Amino acid sequence: MSAARRRRVLVGLALALPVAMLGAASAGSVPLPFFGVLGSLLHGTGLGAGAPLPPPSETILWVVRLPRVLLAAVVGGGLAVVGATLQSVFRNPLADSGLLGVGAGAALGAVAAVRLGWAGSTFLALPFAAFAGAMTAVLVLYALSQALGGGTLHELLLTGISVSALAAAGTSMLLVATEEFRVKTVLFWLAGGLDGRGWMHLRIASILILGGGATLLAAARVLDVLSLGDEEAAALGLPVHFARLVLLALAALVAGAATAAAGSIPFVGLVAPHALRPLAGALGRHLLPAAFLAGALLVVLADLATRVISQNVDLPLGSVTAFVGAPYFLLALRQSETRR
Amino acid sequence: MTAVLEARGLSVRRGARLVVVDVSLVLAPGEAVALIGPNAAGKSTLVRALAGLLPPSAGEVRLRGRSLKDCGRDAVARAIALVAPDEAAPATLTVAERTRLGRYPHRGPLWPFTAEDDAAVARALERSGVATLAGRPLATLSAGERQLAALARGLAQEPAILLLDEPAAHLDIGHQLRLFRVLDEVRREGVGVLAVVHDLPRAAAWAERLVLLAGGRVMAEGPPATVLAGPAAGEAFDVAIRAEHLAGRPVYLFDEKPSPRG
Repeated sequence: MSAARRRRVLVGLALALPVAMLGAASAGSVPLPFFGVLGSLLHGTGLGAGAPLPPPSETILWVVRLPRVLLAAVVGGGLAVVGATLQSVFRNPLADSGLLGVGAGAALGAVAAVRLGWAGSTFLALPFAAFAGAMTAVLVLYALSQALGGGTLHELLLTGISVSALAAAGTSMLLVATEEFRVKTVLFWLAGGLDGRGWMHLRIASILILGGGATLLAAARVLDVLSLGDEEAAALGLPVHFARLVLLALAALVAGAATAAAGSIPFVGLVAPHALRPLAGALGRHLLPAAFLAGALLVVLADLATRVISQNVDLPLGSVTAFVGAPYFLLALRQSETRR
Repeated sequence: MTAVLEARGLSVRRGARLVVVDVSLVLAPGEAVALIGPNAAGKSTLVRALAGLLPPSAGEVRLRGRSLKDCGRDAVARAIALVAPDEAAPATLTVAERTRLGRYPHRGPLWPFTAEDDAAVARALERSGVATLAGRPLATLSAGERQLAALARGLAQEPAILLLDEPAAHLDIGHQLRLFRVLDEVRREGVGVLAVVHDLPRAAAWAERLVLLAGGRVMAEGPPATVLAGPAAGEAFDVAIRAEHLAGRPVYLFDEKPSPRG
């Protein structure tokens, strides 16, 4: 992988993301002028000469659009980093938090927090319940794949399906037992979306996702060594099981924070790192930043699509990413089948 | 000659099965030892136990006189490199990147790689004959090239002991000769080399000492000519072994033993 190409990919993504974010901040039921948005941002952040938009637009931008677009980027980036981590830890290029039941576990934890009324009353209860759910799912998955000797793609995916189904069953049971007025909220949230998310959501999600992501990036070499296989990793002096558990815990933290903030957004963790791997290379320190940017771009655009496609109804964000991700997954699966 | 690596009464279980039984052997610095034996003799298990990857069920492995379990993971990984056929390394990882991971025992997860590491990696790539493949993703390599890339990672570790599990399995004859020449080079620099070798004439030509393993036990040990001429070798492989001399070098001939029922 030439360093020059890697740099081009990274720079390209780093340029595309802010442009997409600006576009996403401009578009919606009340369109804002693209350069007006840029001007207002420059003015508001004190980075340069610019002027605020007229009052209602200015409010829409700063209260509604901006936190939403930023959250889309952070959540998308976080999910992509989780996907890249799971792919290395399970040594499986098609691993993804959604497919492996980590997302379903996070959703179960979050729904439980809503059902028990913690989410409203306790600060950070939702993200931490989602983290606990994600972590439980990841541990169950890991234990099962160890017990079944689970090396192959099929075994891992099938184990993930059963973990997913279990978590979804738990979620359904909780939903049935949830008061009717809460059910719709929970369902909307499960479908994935960024409606009504503000600066507070962004702040919590950013701390957890960026913090977890930065830690994973710092430990990228561990991911690399682990990806060589258990035996070679152990021969290089890595405490394999401990390292795996720490990495999985970090991945669950990020996945939990992302799910708590935006609901289930499937396939981002699969598509972004999988598509970037041939371009950015396999090393964690190259792949993680590129995957983060690609995942951010993907979710910003998907969220934009939810608002642009239909003026009347906001489409669920999770459906949009699934419409893109599911065919991609099938193609990638086919490719990996024909390669062997 | 003091042993750098030593097994004392080593037994290793895999599941319920005792695969290595009461093995004692020593490896001195700069020594070339070939571990031979029929399939399922326990060779791979023994090599992994010597590298500290499998815990002994009895006995111990000593590195420079200290039991492996008292040495610490990093210290063991800095001293012992294991090169085994790899199946897991990611397809898009390049040969150079894989080789560089051989420096992990020296730098750990956080310290940045230094010029010293770069030099070790460059040397290892050069020596293994894969320097021209450095930028190639592993998926694009032939089985033999992958094997040489695995060797490069082992050399980049700059170990005191190099353990190899069938390093020549997928190599054509030219690459085999190159591989064993490289092993001789590192050996001359004081590295103790122990390799599982399936090809008996190759093992005899390369090693100073053969260790014959069968049923998990050491059945014979010594200079190649002695071990291959002895009764244990023929019995272990269930063949008749005959040595001839051609151009001053021993040539071994193998024949199936006539079956008792004819």
